[in-house]
Amino acid sequence: MYGGGNTFESAKFEGLENEDPQKLAEFEARIERGEKIEPSDWMPKLYRKQLIRMIEQHAHSEIIGALPEGTWITRAPGFKRKLALMAKVQDEVGHAQLLYSAAETLGKPREAMIDDLITGKSKYSNIFNYPAFTWADSCFISWLVDAGAIVNQLANARGSYGPYCRALDRICAEESFHLKYGHHCVIHMATGSEKQREMMQAAINRWWGPMMHFFGPPDKVSVHTEVLMKWKVKMASNDDCRNQFLDMYVPKIWELGLTIPDPNLKKNEDTGRWEYTEPDWEEFKRVINGDGPCNKERLAVRRTAEERGAWVRKALLAPKTEYVAPLA
Amino acid sequence: MESLDPRVSRLNIDENASLSPKAPLDQFGTFEVFVQLKEGKQYKHEGAVHAPNRDMAFIFAKEQFSRRLMCSGLFVVDTRNVFVTEYTEDTVNVYEKVADNADAQGEAQEFEFFHLMKRGKQHEHIGSIEAQSAEQALVMAKSEFINSDKPIYNVWVVKTNDILFSSEEDKVIWNTLPEKKFRDAIAYKAADKVKAFKIRQHK
Repeated sequence: MYGGGNTFESAKFEGLENEDPQKLAEFEARIERGEKIEPSDWMPKLYRKQLIRMIEQHAHSEIIGALPEGTWITRAPGFKRKLALMAKVQDEVGHAQLLYSAAETLGKPREAMIDDLITGKSKYSNIFNYPAFTWADSCFISWLVDAGAIVNQLANARGSYGPYCRALDRICAEESFHLKYGHHCVIHMATGSEKQREMMQAAINRWWGPMMHFFGPPDKVSVHTEVLMKWKVKMASNDDCRNQFLDMYVPKIWELGLTIPDPNLKKNEDTGRWEYTEPDWEEFKRVINGDGPCNKERLAVRRTAEERGAWVRKALLAPKTEYVAPLA
Repeated sequence: MESLDPRVSRLNIDENASLSPKAPLDQFGTFEVFVQLKEGKQYKHEGAVHAPNRDMAFIFAKEQFSRRLMCSGLFVVDTRNVFVTEYTEDTVNVYEKVADNADAQGEAQEFEFFHLMKRGKQHEHIGSIEAQSAEQALVMAKSEFINSDKPIYNVWVVKTNDILFSSEEDKVIWNTLPEKKFRDAIAYKAADKVKAFKIRQHK
């Protein structure tokens, strides 16, 4: 699980005034009652658009996220770690398939989504534009990036769109071992030799900034969330997710004698919130817009897979079948 | 392209290749997948796969939906062959919307029924009925389900013959599932290690 469903740009907020007020009221009442929206139900255009964007970007994140983590499959230390990492990465790619299906039920064909990914039109979780230099980086991703994604997705699983919730439920069930595996890897490094500890600390130092970016810009600059919260598209604010992550994992990092490269990081016991140095949001913008250390490689790998696999799909193509949107 | 990932370096990717969209060619058909977790349990809808035909859809479905959790049976059906009623909400049972009679001609065939009992959950297999068409099958099922305790929000009706079911022999594909303990959280206990580390730190 790699997605940060809340970290991406939003759809343009316009046209809501053109919706049929009667239908809109029924739609909102259904969500208010706690019922899910299904693909054939009426929904505002903005709801559809925002969900497609969010689920699609989540799916792309699963695919692209498999690249930095998979970097170390061939050199994972020992047979057990290799088995586990392969199984985990396979799961993540499977999650992309589930998510693409959920987005398809809203009317965007899978091929169009893949096109938008490989032409750079569609975004994915920004953190995967950074490289995994050492095995310790792969451990950081398996434990903490996954943990961040879980915070986001447990929230999203309570959302209003049926197919997305079902995909997330299945994803969360399959995830049960990922987080434990990642934590196990980090514990092994942190309690190991001096060299292993150094490697793990260096990985944390490298990844802390991107990890703080992961939950998206601070609430004070994040716009348009009110209606998305009312429609249960967005279930928790960026800052709330970030705070929850810090609350759950900073103590676990400290417990291992590791440090976090932010002298201002501490929990304010009065407010219950974590205080921290804002990460460099200019860097976040620059990287998400294409100028990160690995943007080019990530897309090139995906595009190459697409191109070099084309002959297989061509050979399999059967004129009797026809693409239609999945039912649910 | 040189990468930290040796698998990527080996691909010999041209860094300056163009960003053109791929040729539109490979939109495979869509198939709905139903899974039975344990013998005796109801089959449930799990999702969809895209495949060039029903046999390939079965293989993809096996990989996608029965790789991780338990499974004792699986079937796939072309999405176009699923007859879908309208969706209702709140306290409205969808069978109230079914007409009292339907045109029917030709031979009777078996139809499988799937009910959505809670919005947001999956469709579950209920049973089958012999009828001349999906519409007629719905009419026949109406008397049985219109007074159900809980409202039914949506029904899928599928001709049994349109479904590719896993067979008895297929079941060996799930035999190795219990052997893959490395995919269970329980295989990653490390509390002792952390405890021992803390004691060392305090010395």
